Amino acid sequence: MTSRYPAIAPDILALFASRGAPTVDVPVLQPADPFLDMAGEDLRRRIFLTESETGAALCLRPEFTIPVCLDHIASQAGTPRRYSYLGEVFRQRREGGNEFFQAGIEDLGDREIARADARSLADAHALLALTLPGQALKITLGDQSIFEAVLAALGLPRGWRMRLARAFGSAEQLAAALTDLANPQKNGALPEPVAALVADGDRDGLAGHIASTMADAGLSPSAGRTPQEIARRLVEKAELRSVRLSAEAFSALEKFLAIDVPLDRAADALEDFAKSAGLSFGAALANFTARVAAVSAEGLSPSAIGYDAAFGRPLDYYTGLVFEISVGDASRPLAGGGRYDRLLTLLGAKTPIPGVGFSVWLDRIEALRGAAA
Amino acid sequence: MTVTLAIPSKGRLKDQSLEMLASAGLAVSLPGDARRYRARIEGRDDIEIAFLSASEIAGEIGQGSVDLGITGEDLLRESVADWESKAAIETKLGFGQADVVVAVPESWLDVETMADLDDVAAEFRQRHGRRLRIATKYWRLTQQFFSGKHGIQVYRIVESLGATEGAPAAGSADVIVDITTTGSTLRANHLKVLADGVILRSEACLVRSFRTRAASDEALLSQICASLARAVRE
Repeated sequence: MTSRYPAIAPDILALFASRGAPTVDVPVLQPADPFLDMAGEDLRRRIFLTESETGAALCLRPEFTIPVCLDHIASQAGTPRRYSYLGEVFRQRREGGNEFFQAGIEDLGDREIARADARSLADAHALLALTLPGQALKITLGDQSIFEAVLAALGLPRGWRMRLARAFGSAEQLAAALTDLANPQKNGALPEPVAALVADGDRDGLAGHIASTMADAGLSPSAGRTPQEIARRLVEKAELRSVRLSAEAFSALEKFLAIDVPLDRAADALEDFAKSAGLSFGAALANFTARVAAVSAEGLSPSAIGYDAAFGRPLDYYTGLVFEISVGDASRPLAGGGRYDRLLTLLGAKTPIPGVGFSVWLDRIEALRGAAA
Repeated sequence: MTVTLAIPSKGRLKDQSLEMLASAGLAVSLPGDARRYRARIEGRDDIEIAFLSASEIAGEIGQGSVDLGITGEDLLRESVADWESKAAIETKLGFGQADVVVAVPESWLDVETMADLDDVAAEFRQRHGRRLRIATKYWRLTQQFFSGKHGIQVYRIVESLGATEGAPAAGSADVIVDITTTGSTLRANHLKVLADGVILRSEACLVRSFRTRAASDEALLSQICASLARAVRE
């Protein structure tokens, strides 16, 4: 069995132990729902699904973060706690094998956010420096919370902020969302008496009307969207009908997203941007600066790390820091990670538990080692 | 050398397929026993007809076990992974039209477009403790449309094998992705199609599988395809 493990596995496990992250073992067979719930339906065609005799959907673990968090919740372990893992994950891939090794550390419950963020980055860097000695590592860092702070500071309506925050990290989706907001679609004409109720902003009247149409359709008013919820959004939407994203806000967002500087100059660049756009980041910038200091304290040089204001990772559970590490100009990252402060609550933790972690693709590292040898 | 042409085994699709073949000069001589699933074309010993259900035809085309098939574009796109690498649509046949659409309850007055649905899906979990549920038998098309085209990730598909339009009232799903021809079933169930919610305008197609075969068979297939394409244009 052990021969299946990559040759570098013992070194990595020793590194994890020396960094205070004992190894946790999670089953290969996992309930499928948490993955589909967190990562989205799109994951369905990329995982190996099966069914238990009783009809429960199971899958071969496609990654470690969710199983490690579920295991933490189930064991009711105290926090803060660091877990490391090294094992196989299973995904349907067109290229490369369907089973490959990942390793990483999940850091749960540390309230010192800046320190934990920096340590996670340093953990990932140390792993790559150990397994790929002499290779130039390129770290790219982004921050979901800075982007959300810009949206809030621009005074954009809530619905728009949510839409843009969701698109963060995908240049394509962000461009589409911005275009939509600059040229809002005309709403269709509403039938009476709805149009009059909306014009009056009469939410209770609307909710009453919607409740009766739901009753006619045999829809439960509580099993899904409620009449009040629909009425609220309908009124909100009508209020936004005449509003469009201003040219100033649009250009401010574009200017922000274009920021791409070494991390040691990032705070200055953000402050310059804030000054020129006449807005304030509030606490988000202080947290950002504290993280830069913590990164230095971990022995990493901020001047050698890139901050890209538009950089995000395509998973909606990241809440703050996101990062990737690659070698040279390779498009595929060797390590990826980030902060996921809402994930444990979504997975069923009774109290909020902040978390940050990273994962490395050992198959990619092995390929590079093979090429170098 | 014979090639196999699979056609739908029942209903209007079968009748219209037979008519189309007849007008292309390829009249099928039906077996005396209506329960038999093989037939011949009059005077053409080189073409074998297989009667299969339309969804089986899509599957067999994907496997390369029949050469040609008449089936719905929706079934081909839904049931064959990476279908473009396995088969090609030779001709759209002009019958069996149906749209695969996204439909929501009429009482969702605030939801007119996919962008609206994106907003609703994003907040759904926070409000209701679960993801927005979509009932459909078209999970591949749904995923491509929601995740691929509209960037909507946070929803769950509930597989529905019949009477999908009843799922919202039954409480098993919030919205549906289903096939509709006139929209009357949707209306009767108090559902409306989103303005940009047409995933696919499907119709019956002549489909050719890409498996390797003798040049003479290949030529024969091209000849059959050309005859049908001519018949469609006339």
